[in-house]
Amino acid sequence: MIELVELTKRYGSTLAVDRLSFEVRPGVVTGYLGPNGAGKSTTMRMMLGLHRPTSGQALIGGRRYDEIGHPLHEVGAVLDADAAHPGRTASVHLGCLARSNGISRARVSAVLEQVGLSNVADKRVGGFSLGMKQRLGIAGALLGDPGVVVLDEPVNGLDAAGIRWIRSTLRSLAAEGRTVLLSSHLMSEMAVTVDRVLIIGKGRLIEDTSVAEMRDRFERDVLVRTPRAAELTAVITRLGSTVTITEDGDLIAVGMDAPAIGDAAAAAGIPVHGLTPRSATLEDVYLEMTDEAAEYRATTEGITR
Amino acid sequence: MTIVQIRPVPAAPADTTAPVRSGAFRDAVAAEFLKVRTLRSTWAFLGGGVAASLLGALILFMLVGAYDAASPADKLKYETADPTVVTMPFVMFFVGAIGAMLITSEFGTRSLGPSLLAVPQRRTLIGAKATVAGLIGLTSGAVFVLFAFVDARLLLGDRPAPINPWPQWTDAIPTVLCSTLVVMATTLVAMGLGALLRSTAGTLTTLGSLVLVAPIFAHFLPTVWQLRLASILLPNLTPQLAGSNHPYLLSPGGAVAVVAGYVLLALGAGAITFHRRDTA
Repeated sequence: MIELVELTKRYGSTLAVDRLSFEVRPGVVTGYLGPNGAGKSTTMRMMLGLHRPTSGQALIGGRRYDEIGHPLHEVGAVLDADAAHPGRTASVHLGCLARSNGISRARVSAVLEQVGLSNVADKRVGGFSLGMKQRLGIAGALLGDPGVVVLDEPVNGLDAAGIRWIRSTLRSLAAEGRTVLLSSHLMSEMAVTVDRVLIIGKGRLIEDTSVAEMRDRFERDVLVRTPRAAELTAVITRLGSTVTITEDGDLIAVGMDAPAIGDAAAAAGIPVHGLTPRSATLEDVYLEMTDEAAEYRATTEGITR
Repeated sequence: MTIVQIRPVPAAPADTTAPVRSGAFRDAVAAEFLKVRTLRSTWAFLGGGVAASLLGALILFMLVGAYDAASPADKLKYETADPTVVTMPFVMFFVGAIGAMLITSEFGTRSLGPSLLAVPQRRTLIGAKATVAGLIGLTSGAVFVLFAFVDARLLLGDRPAPINPWPQWTDAIPTVLCSTLVVMATTLVAMGLGALLRSTAGTLTTLGSLVLVAPIFAHFLPTVWQLRLASILLPNLTPQLAGSNHPYLLSPGGAVAVVAGYVLLALGAGAITFHRRDTA
């Protein structure tokens, strides 16, 4: 488990991370989400001992990262896909990491096979594409068969097959009871990959929830298609719903969920051709939540052709 | 074209024999050895040392030829043909550069992050790098110094002093040992500078200034200052440590103190900086 307690990082007058506290539990894939400059990478670097917190602490399995001997056996992390010496081969790069933690050469071959890089094991990393470097980073994270996996923007540079591979890999790691934390600034990616999301903005925790809860909370209305719109409007208005009729004659009902509308229509003998619960997309919700916290946001106003 | 295949391989089984949870420092040293062996620059700098040694041998060969052709009176005017004077500053630079690259190559390629994720105790990591730098300085220094010694013995043969610095081969032992020590110290200094400056170009320029440029610069100073400065320059510490004939000011004990000062200052400053700074 990863535990952050009042973690704070200040660079001069800039407060990058502001009294951040949360837990990342094992057995689920947790997404760490926020706009650019929100403090995601800084938080992860503090978790992993690369940056020193100004105050507070980050604990992994109850200990600071730099208190763990041979940490690759407990924590696997990728913070920068491009962080391998370009002159070394993939095999040697992993071999150096393995040697520092008493991990055998056989394990290096196994993880290269696992990430699909065994056929380029003896090629220099400098010739790798970004996607191949991401895979190499993930191979390094899996070297020690760790219980905790931390990945910063792991899908950057991966093609569709690679992204699918990452998703299935992370899910299987979580299913084995490991703690999996990955960061992203893309809600669309998180929506299909993670079970739980931690959303930060301007270094502060905005939301700690599950993807399902988030989706439910922002459910907006139900679109109803019926040939007897006026009658159904009367029925469900009596039951407390507010109804708007579209130009196409469809109903948009607020205040009742889809099963209740369906039941009411059936009881009144009114046929229903379509019943669609509509919610804000997770992307909309995310942008709404982080709007004030976004450090950099472009505008289309004033752009003319 | 490189083709990457994605295979639905299940998670590889954990290596049940591997997780040795002790000996973190020993494993860190072993990893640093593997890293330095697999840097192409290591072999390039060793090649530079070999080239400097061969060039030194050629210069000595030409000097001996000129000496043999000289009149008896002129022969007495010849200075000591100690090959370490010509060759060792270059060897110090090239071997020292290997020590510097142990850490600057990681700053330059952002591979320090994975290194610190593998060995997060910064004292352990920099200690392992210093150990490897010291051992490389010691072994490479010994090999190059012995080459210079053997080369001088073969070329100078039984020619007398002053051209022959070591009429008996045993006379060379203090110089060989002290020269090796100075190469090792230079390699540690270079590694400390690398940790402090974090830049390969900056560190190699500083190292080159210390061992190659400063001795030339010292010659342009007034005599008193020339001696004071020259006496504390790394390449000039070998004869002072060995207690052989030299024009400098330090006793062997003083020279030991200066060598220790160089190493402690550079490694100390590098280690403190490395310990305090956040890593990108």
